[in-house]
Amino acid sequence: MTGAAARTEPGGAVQHGRGVAVEAHGLTRRFGPQVALDALTLRIAPGESFALLGANGAGKTTFIRLVTGYLLPSAGSVTVDGVSPALRPSEVHARLGFVMETSRLYPELRVRGFLRFMGGARGLGGAALTRAVDAALARFHLEPVAPRLIGNLSKGFQQRVSLAQAFLTDPPLVIVDEPTGGLDPVQRGEVQALLSSLRGEHTLLLCTHDLDEARMLATRVGVLNAGRLVAEGEASEVLGREDALALFGTVAVPAR
Amino acid sequence: MTALRALVRKELASLFGAPTAYLALSMVALVTALIFFDHLRLYNQILFVYDSATMGGFASDTVPDYVNLWDSVFFPVMETLGLTLIGVVPLVTMRVFAEERARGTDELLFTTRLTPGQIVLAKFAAAYLFVTLMMAVSFLYPATAIEQGGLGLEHLAAVFLGLTLHGIGLASIGLLCSAFTSSQLVAAVSAWAVAFLLWDLSWASGFVGDRIAALLEALSIQPRYSSFAGGVVSLANVIYFAGIALVSLAAARFSFDLRRVSG
Repeated sequence: MTGAAARTEPGGAVQHGRGVAVEAHGLTRRFGPQVALDALTLRIAPGESFALLGANGAGKTTFIRLVTGYLLPSAGSVTVDGVSPALRPSEVHARLGFVMETSRLYPELRVRGFLRFMGGARGLGGAALTRAVDAALARFHLEPVAPRLIGNLSKGFQQRVSLAQAFLTDPPLVIVDEPTGGLDPVQRGEVQALLSSLRGEHTLLLCTHDLDEARMLATRVGVLNAGRLVAEGEASEVLGREDALALFGTVAVPAR
Repeated sequence: MTALRALVRKELASLFGAPTAYLALSMVALVTALIFFDHLRLYNQILFVYDSATMGGFASDTVPDYVNLWDSVFFPVMETLGLTLIGVVPLVTMRVFAEERARGTDELLFTTRLTPGQIVLAKFAAAYLFVTLMMAVSFLYPATAIEQGGLGLEHLAAVFLGLTLHGIGLASIGLLCSAFTSSQLVAAVSAWAVAFLLWDLSWASGFVGDRIAALLEALSIQPRYSSFAGGVVSLANVIYFAGIALVSLAAARFSFDLRRVSG
């Protein structure tokens, strides 16, 4: 466990003061002969905003999937708040919110209906669910589109919906995968401003290949190149290096 | 339970939010109506022939035993309905898991408080509810035949149970096939292949030994389904369909573990 005091709220969501720690030790994941993540050792402190950078196929999504427990490691270990997602995924899921790319939503559902579903799936019910959904709609400026189908919204609004569902239970850890991929500059600015306003309240793990986004949102960054962590440190320090772009290396062939 | 209920509700909303569900319900209603009225027309034609042959004064004992509402209308309708459902049910179940995988929402679902077992259970439950509704729609005409044939409520209940269990068995096969692929087409085609193969395995009896032939007969859906149509509720037949559901449920649950290992 980290130093952050944990308590369980109605609905089972585990609440923390300022986020939880994510720790990986020698974390390795292979897909057949291909090594997607190679002996990654990393610590993200409670309340920290950490950006994992890398070219497409560098292993960022694989790392996220290992943190959520969606994949099992081939070797090494990862823990969230001291809990292994490989062994006790449900306990880890009680501590996290997950923001995926815009296309990974349910286009046939209406915004309010989708948020109610995700709140319910995260253990909220009755008045607590209604309160959480209303708060999320207000926080992410979604009230005007609440009765609309997700599939009919712009990508910017869809990404706000994705953010809103992740924060329904106010989780201590929020994982954000390529939050602005496919968005136009205006939409990208809106989403980045929203994410920026949430810094410090939660542990934020952001995966991106956008250096400017990492500069804006993260206090610390790590750079993955072909599954290996080639740089780690303060965002200003790592991204200020003259060879920052070279750290990305040759674009790797995606493992999955 | 809150999370489970939320997923069942969402699954039903997704099902009824897509045109496939309405198309499937309409198809079943239309095909059943066509088959029923076609057999009824033939039955009436045969009766008319006997009526004409006896100058309009035939009595029921002048009509051969094999010309009756039961053999001429009810059984053929039930047989064709059973086969029609094999064609339709996989169209409904194909998207349940495959679509989630294809658009990546399975990962989002996985990060909620729902365990893989609950996800599978909720999706199966929603599909079963839909299939039961489909059976109610398709049962209207066979029920009319039973009522007109004067066979009573017990027979009616047995037929509906058989029809529903057949639908649940098919839905289970469809869901299982959907759980192992991200392609809805592959899910539907593989479900059709498995269901048609299981429908009647007795054709292979001539090529194998007696013991294997008996096993093939035991694994066939058709004789068990026909048994319900005949008004017989056998525990072995109920267990058979429940077995298909349980094996499919366990295998679909296993697909989650497999994905965590293989990616």
